[in-house]
Amino acid sequence: MKKHPKSLERLVDTLEERVKELNCLYEVEEILHRRDLDLDDIFHEIIKSIPNAWQYPDICNVKIVYGDKEYYTENYQESPWALNTNLTVQERVVGSIRVSYSVEKPEMDIGPFLMEEKQLLDTIAQRLSHFIMYQKLKQVFNKWESTKQEISVTDSGEWRVILELLKRTDPDSYIRITRKMLNYMVWQGIADTDQLLQQFNPFALHEDENLLSETNKPLEKRKVGNIFAVSQKVFDTASKHMNNREILSHIQQWMQQDKTSFLIKAISNNDSSLTDINEAIRRYYQINPKGMALAPSARIGVRAALIRRFFSDQLEFINIAKNFVQVRDFHDILHRMIFPTGSHGKLGGKSAGMFLASRILKTSKQFRDVLKDIKTPKTWYITSDAMIQFMHYNNLEEILEQKYKPIEEVRKEYPHVIQLFKNSHFPGELIQGLSMALDDFGTRPLVVRSSSLLEDRLGSAFSGKYKSLFIANQGSKEQRLSALMDAIAEVYASTIGPDPIQYRGERGLLDFHEEMGIMIQQVVGRRVGDYFFPAFAGVAFSNNEFRWSPRIQREDGLIRMVPGLGTRAVDRLSDDYPILIAPGKPNLKANVSVDEIVRYSPQKMDVINLKTNKFETVEVSHILKQVGNKYPIIDKLTSVLDHDQLNTPRFNTDFCQEDVIFTFAGLISKTSFIEQVHTMLKLLQNSMATPIDMEFAHDGEHFHLLQCRPQSYSKYHAPAVIPDNVPKDNIIFTANRYISNGTINNIRYIVYVDPDRYSAISDREDLKSIGRAVGELNKLLPRKRFILMGPGRWGSRGDIKLGVNVTYSDINNTAMLIEVARKKGNYIPDLSFGTHFFQDLVESGIFYLPLYPDENGVIYNERFFKESMNMLYEMTPAFSYLSDTIHVIEVPKETNGLALSILMNADIDHAMAVLMPPATASFATQDIQSSLKVNISTEDHGLWRKHMAETLVSKLEPQRFGVKACYLLGSSKNKTAQAGSDIDIIVHFQGDQKQRQDLINWLEGWSLCLDEINFLRTGIKIGGILDVQLFDDDEINNEDVIIERFNLSEVQLQELPLYHEEETDHTSEN
Amino acid sequence: MAEGKAFNAFEMAQKQFDKVADMIDLDQASRDLLRNPLREFHFSIPVHMDDGSIKVFRGFRCQHNDARGPAKGGIRFHPQETIDTVRALSMWMTWKTAVADLPLGGGKGGVICDPHNLSSREQEQICRGWIRQVYKNVGPISDVPAPDVMTNAQHMLWMLDEYETITGGRYPGLITGKPVGMGGSLGRKEATGYGLIYTVREALKQLQIDPKNTTASVQGFGNVAQFAIELYSKLGGKVTCISCWDQNESRAITYKKADGINLEELQKITDRFGGVEQDKALELGYEALDGEAWLEQEVDILLPCALENQITEDNVEKIHEKVQIIAEGANGPTTPEADKFLDKRNIFVIPDFLANAGGVTCSYFEQVQSNMNYYWSKDEVLKNLDQKMTAAFWAVTNLSDNRSIFMRDAAYIIGIERVAQASKERGWV
Repeated sequence: MKKHPKSLERLVDTLEERVKELNCLYEVEEILHRRDLDLDDIFHEIIKSIPNAWQYPDICNVKIVYGDKEYYTENYQESPWALNTNLTVQERVVGSIRVSYSVEKPEMDIGPFLMEEKQLLDTIAQRLSHFIMYQKLKQVFNKWESTKQEISVTDSGEWRVILELLKRTDPDSYIRITRKMLNYMVWQGIADTDQLLQQFNPFALHEDENLLSETNKPLEKRKVGNIFAVSQKVFDTASKHMNNREILSHIQQWMQQDKTSFLIKAISNNDSSLTDINEAIRRYYQINPKGMALAPSARIGVRAALIRRFFSDQLEFINIAKNFVQVRDFHDILHRMIFPTGSHGKLGGKSAGMFLASRILKTSKQFRDVLKDIKTPKTWYITSDAMIQFMHYNNLEEILEQKYKPIEEVRKEYPHVIQLFKNSHFPGELIQGLSMALDDFGTRPLVVRSSSLLEDRLGSAFSGKYKSLFIANQGSKEQRLSALMDAIAEVYASTIGPDPIQYRGERGLLDFHEEMGIMIQQVVGRRVGDYFFPAFAGVAFSNNEFRWSPRIQREDGLIRMVPGLGTRAVDRLSDDYPILIAPGKPNLKANVSVDEIVRYSPQKMDVINLKTNKFETVEVSHILKQVGNKYPIIDKLTSVLDHDQLNTPRFNTDFCQEDVIFTFAGLISKTSFIEQVHTMLKLLQNSMATPIDMEFAHDGEHFHLLQCRPQSYSKYHAPAVIPDNVPKDNIIFTANRYISNGTINNIRYIVYVDPDRYSAISDREDLKSIGRAVGELNKLLPRKRFILMGPGRWGSRGDIKLGVNVTYSDINNTAMLIEVARKKGNYIPDLSFGTHFFQDLVESGIFYLPLYPDENGVIYNERFFKESMNMLYEMTPAFSYLSDTIHVIEVPKETNGLALSILMNADIDHAMAVLMPPATASFATQDIQSSLKVNISTEDHGLWRKHMAETLVSKLEPQRFGVKACYLLGSSKNKTAQAGSDIDIIVHFQGDQKQRQDLINWLEGWSLCLDEINFLRTGIKIGGILDVQLFDDDEINNEDVIIERFNLSEVQLQELPLYHEEETDHTSEN
Repeated sequence: MAEGKAFNAFEMAQKQFDKVADMIDLDQASRDLLRNPLREFHFSIPVHMDDGSIKVFRGFRCQHNDARGPAKGGIRFHPQETIDTVRALSMWMTWKTAVADLPLGGGKGGVICDPHNLSSREQEQICRGWIRQVYKNVGPISDVPAPDVMTNAQHMLWMLDEYETITGGRYPGLITGKPVGMGGSLGRKEATGYGLIYTVREALKQLQIDPKNTTASVQGFGNVAQFAIELYSKLGGKVTCISCWDQNESRAITYKKADGINLEELQKITDRFGGVEQDKALELGYEALDGEAWLEQEVDILLPCALENQITEDNVEKIHEKVQIIAEGANGPTTPEADKFLDKRNIFVIPDFLANAGGVTCSYFEQVQSNMNYYWSKDEVLKNLDQKMTAAFWAVTNLSDNRSIFMRDAAYIIGIERVAQASKERGWV
């Protein structure tokens, strides 16, 4: 315990040192980026900034030597206690930096210096070296430009001058241009050129020396005479066949292309790291800030390659993006990118979608007027491999294996994983980058968003699976940095949270090596009082999958928006409502009567409290009382409730005092906001060739696009034909509000949570256990062969009374989620509108249906639900005490073999659940089959099969059936089995005909049994799971026979132990 | 599913009428007249929709009876509207205005449409189209519409404007439910709650109880309940209990304070839907009980002001033996089975028709003020309301006393008899 204060002190010291180093590096970067300084000034400035980063700045001296010049700190004194490092340009030492102490100090890592100080000095030297190289290149380039200009001015065809200059300064380039000229002439069919082609061997140049593609060193001493002579001949030939002007223009064009070849090389080389690419792009712009022209073919190539390196391998994405992005954009992004040295990481899906969307909006000419005010917030990016670096740095690699554990375990361990991540350290490189980012952001609040490589790919929007965290970003730099790192660590930890893992498991994405990029975005908004928030924010979908009126088309889109931060529009709310608007039909409101409008208006908003540094949810009325008219564009966002009437706010409305309701009425009718969103949705959907959704925020002045990604939607959404001749007894329920399109067939089970019983439960724990029981049933019942029906809002977070408390993983196997709104007196409970959950449902092809049993003309066969035999006990005895509330109905059992079909038709707003014979009910099941995703991992299927094979063989009596041995082969043995795989078994048979028949009967029984069990596990039925072949003594030793009969490529058998009487006796003795 | 025939509101209304007609031995001609609406208008309303298409909506107006004065009743926009519903509702309006002894008849109207599928411009076109079809048959001196299901003040103003445009004058008395300043009346918020207590006050007189010595328990804490509590407290009574819906817990909760609730402090922690914040109520020292606990309190008066079907066969026996008055602020809070028990217990029931007639009375005042284009102060409105309610109460009570019949039956009889009488005096039957 005595030691403690001391070590703490040391820790603080160390941290202070780190901060000093970061500041120093940052200053150096600043200096190098200043355009107004020449090389001399830069050396002077850097010398001034270095000592502060050292332990003893007062006695710290710095000397830089460059060429024949030397630069010193004031009162420079030579001393023996020094660190040295060289400045190297293209592997040649061109100078050095020396840092020394004028007084002797206690021994540390390297003399009186720390290891970190040595590293810092090396880093500075490296940056400075690069800088010197650019300066040199720039000079060469400028020289070229001026020469070129002179020549074009005189236009005397003096291309020879250029070539001569080129030969001297850049022989590589000279040779390449010669080769191009030669190629050109061969194509043109100019005589004698074939011969020259054979003589021309540019590699001669490199036989002795391995050079970089470009150099600025004179080359007098190389043995290049031969090749130059051939070159001479080439141009001589050229001059005979072409005029001067023609030659000049070719040479100029090729030289231009050649100048950019380094960029193409760096980018197209898969081995080049982001650092290399970064350098190449920097160089490209450093040589000429306007960028040089790339050949058209190269331009697209470079773009495509950059897109691939930065964003995505997905061809669909590259194909679209390459038409909208420019090299310049990457130059801009690189300024705000944080990545480990040698990185091969990407920025992830969210960044990609955002980047592409903003480019599409910027390049649109057609809608320029509408879109001109659209902005994107300042963003910094961390590449995906930084997460791996972080995990290596903290030895967290084994946590990556988390994803292969059973989901229950993942869920149990997740809270500890979060803490583990949050208490880990970030590598210096990342800290340095984050520190720069914070300086760039200032003290505006930030949001840390995940941008995983899996996220937002076509067909699998990981919406909300990974975290996005808000930070207030207030306080000292150290506090801000620490808060930022904390948030990033938590977002990293979310990759191995239970929900994402489950989600990935279902889509067969578990083995995909998940890396996560990070976006750090400035939060859009303004400070009003102690709070920071946007005027309003939300999500917009280009396809409206949730229509409240048949007059609204899917293409009319959907906006969900709320006052304050958009979190409340994205997340499923249990206690509040976002405003819904279909931008294509803004006049068709989801809520019509004053009562409805008031009841369904947002009552709460998310804000960042700058005083407490916290993300908070506050009552809208509370905010308005405090800030009133200072709320940005409040008059456009609200209506005033007066005498049961909603009025437009007037000039003298006092928003602190009056009864103000968020309706966004003025925004819809008086501004171009809706038109803007609608245009964006259409434009982005067309350009990206897929329905999209986007997040946005509005600060009162500008629309800010925050995120954009492909929208998920299901294929099986054709309107069902609803027969009108169904006997009433066969109808289980009908619905006529908020119907989507689709058909579900062959439903065998109904899980019914009785709304009355549910609302009668008073104990919170009991309510929770209902959710757990549903989760358990979800695992046990055959996938997509059951429906869940329950009161109010499924998955309600927080207000458990409103609906059964489940997460997506508790319901993910259902075919349909039904919310029942029983009338309670005059009050119809509110059902959940679309949310994160809803998107999951859409993506998993789970249908959603609201039922209003008490509405006129609706059929609702409550007796069927309540009085049918309850299978809960059979399914999960542990929860049988809930059988009053939860009813599990096995449909065929109750109906003499019928199955349930649900037919939905949005066009006529009608849905019907009807009992049908399974034969007719199965006509569309193939669709469902093909979309069946394997819920249980491959390994489980294999293990299960192996276990079952062992079990059945262990029950096989050898004497009774005349069996000598049994072998397992195929997928079950290799654990590669799928949900629909069979079990291949070879029986070495020695019995007679009777035994043979008995054996076959015995095995058939097993086969059908196992098939049924497998069906219950996976929902897949193949009509008998065993593939058993009987082999006689000869066949069993003949591999070819086995291969032929089982259609295999090789034979791997595993003998299974047969039933053994003595052994059984033996165990029973124990 | 075997409930058999679908519920038909009109048949039920006729049955109810037949029962009372038997009780008062009404002649056949009067029965034939009153069993059906006097006039019905069915018409089409073509509307140019936003997308350029034309859609034709079906509209109705029923004037069940206007022997006592201009028909009065709302206009409903409802996708499942049927003429039978409109007929039934218009008949109930006739009895309602008659019980309150207002010089009005009963009517109802509607359009088959779902405003959820209509833009606001399209709804305006429906409103104007409705007036164009029936402007000759409605009017400040013949039939006065009002807002109802899914219609509001805005719809009324569109209709009024269309009517005035066609007729070329200013007739604010055409329609009620207008905003204050546009021909609306003050005191509308208070009307139902105050009206309820006016009847309670008179009932206490009848039972010879000093209000100061009474306590009450209230179900609901919305507009009606809050104003009722306010006025009852002014009379010296003490409310010990209210119950309200708790949005968070999705169940009703009863808040109790034995020495009397404080209306103002509760209002401060109540949302606009009448929900009380539980935590804060507990902090203030209220006891949170089960939602039905309001019914079991040891009080003199029960005021059900929330929902229908609250006092039922199942819970009616839990009513404390001290309870002497039940005044129905809500519509239909007591089921017929429960009624029988209340009758046996000799509890004084002020039936909903009478007890919550403050609302329709205030609509009548709005029409009166609009017709004379002179608007009263709130005090004036409330003073007149008191007079009307008191008179209506005694008419029903005296009948109930004289003939020893249950208050609810007495109210119906009064209403139906007044209408039959007026029809007779006019020489119709």
